[in-house]
Amino acid sequence: MTGQGFFVLTALASGPRHGYGIVREVAELSQGRVQLKIGSLYGVLERLAADGLIEPDREEARDGRLRRYFRLTRDGRRALAEEAELRAATARVVRTRLGLTGAEAAG
Amino acid sequence: MSGGLDLEQRYRRVLRLLPGYYRDTWEDDMVAAFLDSWMTGDPDEDSVTMEFDRPSRAEVASVIGLAARLYLGGAGAPRRYFTWGQAVRGVALAVLLVHAAAGLDGLVSVFLHGSHRIVPAPPATIVTASPGGVWPPTVWYVVGYVWIVIYVALVLGHYRTARVVAVLAIVPALAWLLQGQLTGSLQSPFGSWAFWFLIDLVPILAMAAFHRDAPPAARRPWLLALPAYYLLVSVPVLAAELTGHRDWVPDTPGLCCILVAVLCLAHVPRAWSGRAGTGVWSLTLVLLAAVAGVYRIVSLGDYLRDPHLIYYLQGPHLINVGLAELLILVAAAALVAPDAARAQTALPAPPPRPQPG
Repeated sequence: MTGQGFFVLTALASGPRHGYGIVREVAELSQGRVQLKIGSLYGVLERLAADGLIEPDREEARDGRLRRYFRLTRDGRRALAEEAELRAATARVVRTRLGLTGAEAAG
Repeated sequence: MSGGLDLEQRYRRVLRLLPGYYRDTWEDDMVAAFLDSWMTGDPDEDSVTMEFDRPSRAEVASVIGLAARLYLGGAGAPRRYFTWGQAVRGVALAVLLVHAAAGLDGLVSVFLHGSHRIVPAPPATIVTASPGGVWPPTVWYVVGYVWIVIYVALVLGHYRTARVVAVLAIVPALAWLLQGQLTGSLQSPFGSWAFWFLIDLVPILAMAAFHRDAPPAARRPWLLALPAYYLLVSVPVLAAELTGHRDWVPDTPGLCCILVAVLCLAHVPRAWSGRAGTGVWSLTLVLLAAVAGVYRIVSLGDYLRDPHLIYYLQGPHLINVGLAELLILVAAAALVAPDAARAQTALPAPPPRPQPG
């Protein structure tokens, strides 16, 4: 799973979001390090949808424009959980190898 | 209003780069998300933004990247775009194969000259033939090796590595061209730039077709193609030169024309068989014929501007021979072109628009 795909799935983990909602959430989750452009976002969304990890949830009209909301599928939830576990395990190994305790790592 | 368009219209104009089937599904959504990212909620500020702002370069680049991935489709793409994607991947591999074979040729000649160092001093023939300029001959020689690495990396699926190394590999030639352009030492500026564009830059641009959705290249045939090309093409050429029959050997553009023409003729029975799935190779060959044809035309233009070059290379008949090669290439490509066209028109229905569940 790519970094962008991971962040997009994470952004959808707390509930359905529309395109710009995902962009904002990803920026917040990554502390501003991942700023998705719209072309990149829809490339990621299309790929995740093709892989069955997300699906359209609903459409809402605002300012005369339709916004499509996306949500995680069951497979998407499972894939995200597996990826999160993998990344957490990797992070634990890194902390151990660097000799960081929990407090040092947090600080 | 600036230029008669507002921000939404300007962004929609950028989105026209995307294939129609994709825009039908995603355009309105993309526009909504894009405008959301600009609007502040302050009517005055938003009005100014709509009138005067335009999509950022990064935003346009992201759409261009998406368009390249969609037009050069991979698994799951509509058949037309998948065919184009496969054909462009084939062209990239074929041109890189020629580069890699030239590198292999250089490598073998080093061992024939008895040197066994990893980066040996180049043999005298290479020193005299290298463009020189800002780089010592060894750089050109190492670049020749590097194309082997790029080709193998691409075949083995290490796309990012192949791309990065390929970009580095064309830098020496680019620097040499720029230096020649600035100092006025390029004998044929148009030809030199055209060769660099066709032979170096085009395959690197075509490597955009090797994205995550692209099916991997068939490893065994493409890996075997390198020694096969060397044995079937490079060795006979070398043998002809060594036995004093240099006049029998076509120049590089001519050789490319002949090889592509032979491949087209070999593919004709399959292309005309009416079987499904032949269109990808037909389109690949038509695209290769276009590259080889332009290479031939540019080189002939170069020779016409520099009569000494004609004499040095093969004598004054080179122009007539070159035109004959071009004619053969066009005739051979025309035989597979209908199959290539059929492969694109046989469009299945576009994927259904995702509906809220």
